Amino acid sequence: MSNELILLLLRIVSGLLLLTILFAIFRILWRDFQHTTRAMDRQKRSYGSLIVMQEIDGAYLLTGEVYPLLPITSLGRSPTNTIPINDTFASSEHALITLRERQWWLEDRNSRNGTLLNGRQVTQPVVITHDDIIGIGHISLRINLSD
Amino acid sequence: MTTELAIHQEHTRTVKTRERLLLLLVGMFLLVNFLGLRLAQPSSTSTDWLHFIVWLICASIGTLLLERNLPARDPLLFPIAMFLSGWGLILIDRLAPPFADRQTVWLAVSVTAMLIVATTPHPLRWLRQYRYVLLLGGILLLLGTIFLGTNPSGSQTAPQLWLGFGAIFFQPSEALKIMLVAFLASYLAESPSFFRASLPAFSTQRKWPSPRIIGPVLLMWGICIIILVWQRDLGTAILFFAVFILLVYVATRSNFILFSGFILIILAGFVAYMAFAVVRLRVDVWINPWPEADSRAFQIVQSLLAFAAGGPFGQGIGQGSPTYIPVVHSDFVFSAIAEEWGLLGVITVIAAIGTFVVRGLQIALQQQQRAFLVLLATGLSLLIATQSLLIMAGVLKLIPLTGVTLPYLSYGGSSLLASFVIVGLLLRLSALENN
Repeated sequence: MSNELILLLLRIVSGLLLLTILFAIFRILWRDFQHTTRAMDRQKRSYGSLIVMQEIDGAYLLTGEVYPLLPITSLGRSPTNTIPINDTFASSEHALITLRERQWWLEDRNSRNGTLLNGRQVTQPVVITHDDIIGIGHISLRINLSD
Repeated sequence: MTTELAIHQEHTRTVKTRERLLLLLVGMFLLVNFLGLRLAQPSSTSTDWLHFIVWLICASIGTLLLERNLPARDPLLFPIAMFLSGWGLILIDRLAPPFADRQTVWLAVSVTAMLIVATTPHPLRWLRQYRYVLLLGGILLLLGTIFLGTNPSGSQTAPQLWLGFGAIFFQPSEALKIMLVAFLASYLAESPSFFRASLPAFSTQRKWPSPRIIGPVLLMWGICIIILVWQRDLGTAILFFAVFILLVYVATRSNFILFSGFILIILAGFVAYMAFAVVRLRVDVWINPWPEADSRAFQIVQSLLAFAAGGPFGQGIGQGSPTYIPVVHSDFVFSAIAEEWGLLGVITVIAAIGTFVVRGLQIALQQQQRAFLVLLATGLSLLIATQSLLIMAGVLKLIPLTGVTLPYLSYGGSSLLASFVIVGLLLRLSALENN
């Protein structure tokens, strides 16, 4: 075999090896990326949602707003709450929903106008379930648990 | 708990196999190219096999010791560093054979240094504890170079950037860059604004940087100006300043810093253009090299021609003529790669360095709220990123040429050593517990 032919072959092999190295690097990056997104999906499991409604003429109408239900969800007029409620009857820190021992609890945080659960005043922490309706000021929130 | 343990074990197993697979591929690539070089240039010295063997030993001892000491390290950093530095050895064998033996010795020294950094008990704590000693040492090194600096070629007119000890020459600015990143990281980590900035911002109040932040920035600017004025080392000055502006920006999220840093660079550049012939030359040939293609702009024009000659797949090792470019083995290795390995080689180099930097920044993200470690990993990655960008864009005439080395690839012992110390630190950071 002539020198030129061997050199050409070596060039081709060298180029192929460069491509293989590139491929190997990108495969590792891709695998790690998939691994991370899967881990994040697992962490970001959804608990449920709170569906905002307004009572007009005795019927509940959806406002179109839906908030995710988190293990600690605070409600009130102040923008630092997990769910800020823009209503003059709501106190700045109005109510709190927490997940304790696999139960969802609703408590009133000494609000001025009180919190309602299915139309009844909440005076001490109570357990809430799917389809319960929380009332704060003019706004109602229906609880939608995912599992 | 048992599944967690199993996941952990599987993770370390994949680190090992991934690292070794990559090193194997890299080794094959280097072997093929050493063979090609031997065939294309039969006159080359017979010691170049020795260089490949030294590389092999460094790679195998490196991966073995890392496996024993840091089983949960990042699997990409070490193979990429070995890939680029091995390719660098071939390039020096090809372009400047008299320097190749020296570079091989430096590679062995650098890998040893990396392993020391990666295996000693508390290098990160030391970096933090002795930060003022580091800063002082760095400034002394800089002063030492200003007054005692030499050039390995012995020329009195060339920039005097090296400290000589007999036959060994060392460029202190390479050590200085790591020292200053470590200093700035620990300094900024203790500044309260770091944690304040990392909270989600509810208030929209404007954060004006405190004197605690502006102080070191001005100090750095001063150091860079000194480097520029006394040493005519444009590349290092820009590299230092850009990295420190970015690091302060990461620590404080202050757009003001980014903006004023940009203004300061432009100002300094303008003054330097007026004052120094070397800067004027670089900017002039960047704007239009063609009228002076055979005199002042010879180097950059030859570099562009090398890129054109390479085409998509290159001329093949030893079959192009990159040696037309003056000092091709240090500042212009990227053009040599373009000529002999073509667009494919160029893309591989950019991808490898880009991956390295991205992994470095990912390591920074893993450190969560440990501000010093976050800033250290960010700073070290940004050093490699900025330096590579400056020289790669420089030889392509995208920005004015600044004479810095291309990390791992260029000829230069101190640069290689500093780059491998950076790998050691990043590997160390990537293997920390509780990530």
